[in-house]
Amino acid sequence: MNQDTTKLSRRNFFKAGTVLASGVAIASALTPYDGLLFAAESPGAKGKWYGIGIDINKCIGCGKCANACKQENNVPKDPFYFRSWVEQYTIKNDGSILVESPSGGVNGFTQSVPDNEIYKSFFVPKMCNHCAKSPCTQVCPVGATFETEEGIVLVDEKYCIGCRYCVQACPYGCRYIHPEKGTADKCTLCFHRLKHGLQPACFEICPTEARIFGDLNDPGSKLNYFLKNHNCMVVKPHLNTGSKLFYNALSPEVR
Amino acid sequence: MPQHIKRLISVFAIFIVLFLVMRQVLKPSSFGKLGHFRADAIYENTLKPMHYTIADSCTKCHKSVRAEKDKGFHKRLKCEVCHGPGLKHSLFAEQFKGKELPDSLKLYKPGERKDCGVCHQKNAARIKIQFDTINTTMVHQIDLAEHNPPDLKANEPANCIDCHNPHQP
Ligand code: HEC
Ligand code: HEC
Ligand code: HEC
Ligand code: HEC
Repeated sequence: MNQDTTKLSRRNFFKAGTVLASGVAIASALTPYDGLLFAAESPGAKGKWYGIGIDINKCIGCGKCANACKQENNVPKDPFYFRSWVEQYTIKNDGSILVESPSGGVNGFTQSVPDNEIYKSFFVPKMCNHCAKSPCTQVCPVGATFETEEGIVLVDEKYCIGCRYCVQACPYGCRYIHPEKGTADKCTLCFHRLKHGLQPACFEICPTEARIFGDLNDPGSKLNYFLKNHNCMVVKPHLNTGSKLFYNALSPEVR
Repeated sequence: MPQHIKRLISVFAIFIVLFLVMRQVLKPSSFGKLGHFRADAIYENTLKPMHYTIADSCTKCHKSVRAEKDKGFHKRLKCEVCHGPGLKHSLFAEQFKGKELPDSLKLYKPGERKDCGVCHQKNAARIKIQFDTINTTMVHQIDLAEHNPPDLKANEPANCIDCHNPHQP
């Protein structure tokens, strides 16, 4: 081994390393991390910009939202096709985390761990986050999925070639391939209902008002009231997807 | 210019023209209007059939039930949360007033124990906090196995709705 090259390369290594590190530091100082704030102010300040709020403290895990979604949108009944579903998280005294979702919670839940072993337990309703910078639309090779002006991510069933790329790309697991149509399928925020001025079915049905649907651009909307009065969080904020699904009382265990 | 380059250029030109012509023919007219997608797809997404209505639409014909429900603990519950999607029913049921509804318009009547258990069965994850400061009730939980279980011998009431009025529990 040549003594000179080792010395040189170490020096170069430190040099390059310092440049890189300071570059990253400067870049992050210029655009500070704002996973939540981004979505709260819409790109186009006019018109509607829909968002979702879910209060985990209020969810009783009846699964009626998952059920309503399946019926409203004719989602296949098999227990692995969901647009909206509920998960029960159980954190046991020994520190292990159990996540259950018997057929997506469509028929409700039964407690499977005895009370004395539970540290805490809660329900997390899940659905498409309608990200403002959605990874799933970015990967589509044929432009069959897109974000509308209202901030809703939709699928063009006629144009989709069923390549499953978007299913892989969604960090929240909110897409599936429809077994009959062979195209990607996902939550549309009940777009067909919105056009008639109705709420999406899962929001309409919730018995405890744990789900809040509204327009982020409207300062007086129920959703903005909810966001102002609770410390909300999105799932996987580090991915910076611009998620517009805000959870109150979200535990860090939730993935 | 050398002969072979000229040929190459003309081959390329033919391909490019062919591509442009094909693209013009194959591209849907609304593609690219609002972005890299078919703008018509937005409209097509609104054409799907609805199944659920809104809570108030039931009130029109079932005033007494609504009035009853508004007085009880279930006042926050929407009718359809128990009875299932009711758009078709609320559009077409009127002509069957006082008569037997056809099967297609019948709604689910959740009278079994497990139907109430979906919300009331004891579960460590069920609601622990108060809804809000005005209404201080929680969703009370019972153990389906212990709360007045059906007794087959002594012909006792077994279903929840034998003792509780579902609309005013
Ligand atoms: C257009 C008027 C109308 C509307 C709106 C309506 N209903 Fe009815 N409903 C009827 C009629 C008529 C019957 C037949 C029985 C009767 O006369 O009581 C009925 C019966 C029922 C029954 C009993 C069915 C049975 O099998 O005995 C239920 C449950 C019911 N309605 C629930 C609802 C719910 C929930 C809604 C709201 C989504 C709703 N209805 C909206 C007219 C209506
Ligand atoms: C907690 C769940 C629940 C909710 C919420 C609910 N119902 Fe019912 N409803 C029931 C059950 C259970 C029955 C069956 C009663 C029986 O068989 O005696 C029923 C029966 C009925 C009937 C049949 C008439 C009768 O007395 O048998 C009508 C009509 C009806 N419901 C209308 C409504 C309307 C309108 C609403 C909304 C204002 C509503 N229900 C909300 C559970 C519910
Ligand atoms: C969709 C969920 C849901 C279903 C199904 C349901 N309930 Fe309830 N129930 C609630 C909620 C939520 C409350 C509390 C409402 C509040 O305090 O604002 C409640 C309250 C009650 C109460 C009052 C408890 C108390 O003392 O505070 C009784 C009793 C009750 N329900 C009985 C029933 C019966 C019987 C059935 C079956 C016909 C039933 N419930 C079905 C959600 C449900
Ligand atoms: C034999 C009649 C009877 C039957 C059957 C019955 N209940 Fe009750 N239930 C009562 C009475 C009486 C009370 C009030 C006294 C009490 O708190 O125990 C009550 C109270 C309740 C409460 C309020 C509990 C609380 O802590 O305030 C709920 C919730 C409830 N019942 C749900 C149900 C459900 C769900 C079913 C069906 C699985 C059911 N009940 C079946 C008679 C009955």
